[in-house]
Amino acid sequence: MAAGLLLGVLVLALGGAAVVGRPPAGDAAPEAVRRTLRRWRSAGLVLGVAAAGIAVEADDLGRGVLVAAPLFGLCVLAGVVTGEARAVRLPDPVRTAAVETRHLRHFLPGRAAAAVAAAGFALAALLALTTVAGSADDLGRAGRALSYACADFAGRNGPWPGSFYSLPLSLVVGAGAVLAALALRRVVGRPRPVDDAGDLVRDDAERRRSARAVTGAGGLLVTLPLIGVSLTTASALLANPCRPLWWTVAASLLLLLVPGWLALLAWSAVAVVTTDVRPSRATVTSAR
Amino acid sequence: MTPILQVDVADPTPPYEQLRRQFVDLIGSGALPAGERLPPLRQLAADLGLAVGTVARTYRELEAAGLVRSRRGGGTRVTASPARPAGERARALHDLAVGYARQARLLGADRDAALDALRRAWPAEG
Repeated sequence: MAAGLLLGVLVLALGGAAVVGRPPAGDAAPEAVRRTLRRWRSAGLVLGVAAAGIAVEADDLGRGVLVAAPLFGLCVLAGVVTGEARAVRLPDPVRTAAVETRHLRHFLPGRAAAAVAAAGFALAALLALTTVAGSADDLGRAGRALSYACADFAGRNGPWPGSFYSLPLSLVVGAGAVLAALALRRVVGRPRPVDDAGDLVRDDAERRRSARAVTGAGGLLVTLPLIGVSLTTASALLANPCRPLWWTVAASLLLLLVPGWLALLAWSAVAVVTTDVRPSRATVTSAR
Repeated sequence: MTPILQVDVADPTPPYEQLRRQFVDLIGSGALPAGERLPPLRQLAADLGLAVGTVARTYRELEAAGLVRSRRGGGTRVTASPARPAGERARALHDLAVGYARQARLLGADRDAALDALRRAWPAEG
């Protein structure tokens, strides 16, 4: 199962690599800054793979599989936050700053970030509904089945993404959202580095690179669980023999959206995996 | 060319005053024209390793002097660009040169050494 999950993500990453293209170019940072950022991002990536692998094996009822991708994203985000926090040390005693206004929109991949935000809202809304609708399964585990009552008989379908799954998932995804916000704040707010001559360096390429990794990690964080929850929910809804029409419509809508989430998942996987694979060919320029 | 600010944390002049003087010079010289937005408080404080309150005090002093105006959600922008007349600029440059020459002589530097130091300190073009 774990191998299948990792293989799937890898295939998506390689498949999307040709579509996504080159990581952002522009003004590069001094080598020491780039090295620090790259090392911490890579450390987050490795830690994320290990954490996801452990999570997948940790629970037979599917909760581990569900939180594996968000855990992976969480570790990548932690790597970005740490790297951004440690990349630049202010020189003493003379410190320099440019009179400039940096905005998140200067660094964030706009469309992808909007798509990730939309996926996040979709996941939150879907989980809220499935949590409310969930009931206990045949072994009494709360929020793991969907009960129904037809005219002559009653029954339940599962697994259902009720509180049994949604609570641990919400915890990990919520932590990831906080970490992503923190990472983006660091990407924009950290000081510009200074080169050997004491000149400020416009390191926008590195900031865009980090913002891209954050967007990719955020995408993995929400799209993989969203796809799983969408398929499980649709399957449980369609399994009800006396379902109302709107259940069929809702299930169809969830299934129709899956290819879009898969495309976003592919972009996210590529963004995370290739962020540090292809170095920028940009030159170092001075702010002076 | 992006204007640059410098703060010497070892200088006895408080950092907010160092910043205020530089902003006054930048606005007065026209390097920061009317309508130009100043960096957000938190960003500039983080860039210079200063407390947000320190930068906020600089901005308050500039606002009190009528050089900038802060607006909620709109940041802090230069209100007026009291461009110095050519004569006043030449006089200000002369005053600065006299001060530099005096300091250089106190350090024991001769004329050539002082001019060399000035050339080395002059920012490269581009």
